[in-house]
Amino acid sequence: MNERFSLVDRQVPYLHEKQIEREARFILDQYELKFERKVTAPVPLEKITEFQLQLTLEFKDMKSLFPFADVHGAIWFKEGIIGIDQSLNPDENPSMLGRYHFTLAHELGHWCLHRQHYKENPNQPMLFDDGVRVPDVVCRSSERKKPVEWQADAFAANLLMPKPLVIQAWAEHHDGDDQPAEMATLRPANADKVFSLRGRLATTAEERDAAIKEHYAAPFAERFSVSKEAMRIRLEELKLFVENRPRLLF
Amino acid sequence: MAPTAKSFGKVLRERRLACGFGLREFAQLVGVSSTYISQLEQENIDPPTAERAAKMAEILRENADEWIALAGRVPDDLEGIIQKEPIGMPALLREAKGLTAAQLQKLAEQAKVMKGENS
Repeated sequence: MNERFSLVDRQVPYLHEKQIEREARFILDQYELKFERKVTAPVPLEKITEFQLQLTLEFKDMKSLFPFADVHGAIWFKEGIIGIDQSLNPDENPSMLGRYHFTLAHELGHWCLHRQHYKENPNQPMLFDDGVRVPDVVCRSSERKKPVEWQADAFAANLLMPKPLVIQAWAEHHDGDDQPAEMATLRPANADKVFSLRGRLATTAEERDAAIKEHYAAPFAERFSVSKEAMRIRLEELKLFVENRPRLLF
Repeated sequence: MAPTAKSFGKVLRERRLACGFGLREFAQLVGVSSTYISQLEQENIDPPTAERAAKMAEILRENADEWIALAGRVPDDLEGIIQKEPIGMPALLREAKGLTAAQLQKLAEQAKVMKGENS
């Protein structure tokens, strides 16, 4: 397998964040209609994949398929297959549960947002040595985010952490108060704690802030079965961390 | 499910989905890793042992012997049965070879009656 197979650079049409949010919401609405059940956290991602969208979910040894790239997910549009690297299988590596969910949701993002584009603009078919078709999109953990990947990430965040459910969970956690948390309060409260950020000591002010937020995001991350990093980013997107809350006069 | 020329992996995936079991959920019920089930479904590895094939059939409410055969295995108890009657059992099987499924069913029912008479 040659590295060039994983370097197909695809220009996809621009999508506004609101469009992506609507697409994710549509999938959740369809789930509720089909299964006559309200979506609650954690979002039933595997059921959506296999039984709602009727896609084939496969664990694959991506390292053997793509020895030169750090591939964690891939999608074959024509065959309707989503491949996830077996190292992310949470049954074997429970610490990977969050990354597994995000990767799967990200691939669903490609399915929902990009399959029509790929159908209309097909790749030159390429085959592995054993004759299996090379996936239409391969997602690597260590690449600069292209629009196609950014859009799938945004979809994944909206699917796994829908705004109404996050706001509801936030309010429940704060005794009904859905106001944002103040960094001006959280920093001193965590002043004596040593934080690490993804395996290394948080040293800069920015890293320390991220670490404090991830510490605060931990119970939400657990509830939504995502990583603390993904949860922190979502809470930031929803503006649930602010420097100071506006003071009321009365 | 009728006997089929389909491979074990394809039948497994079809039946698992038809029964509404997710990949990881089914693996948990069988007591194996979901990577293993996925590899089976992709046909990247050999079909399971007779014992595992029977367990999967039981969960999916399928005929265990049929699934063991689909996996290209022989039920674990047959070896002991043949060894216990080393002349009669192979002779019976050879004679029964070529009978239709309905005839085999009839033969099995008659054997059951005869067993009842012996006990």
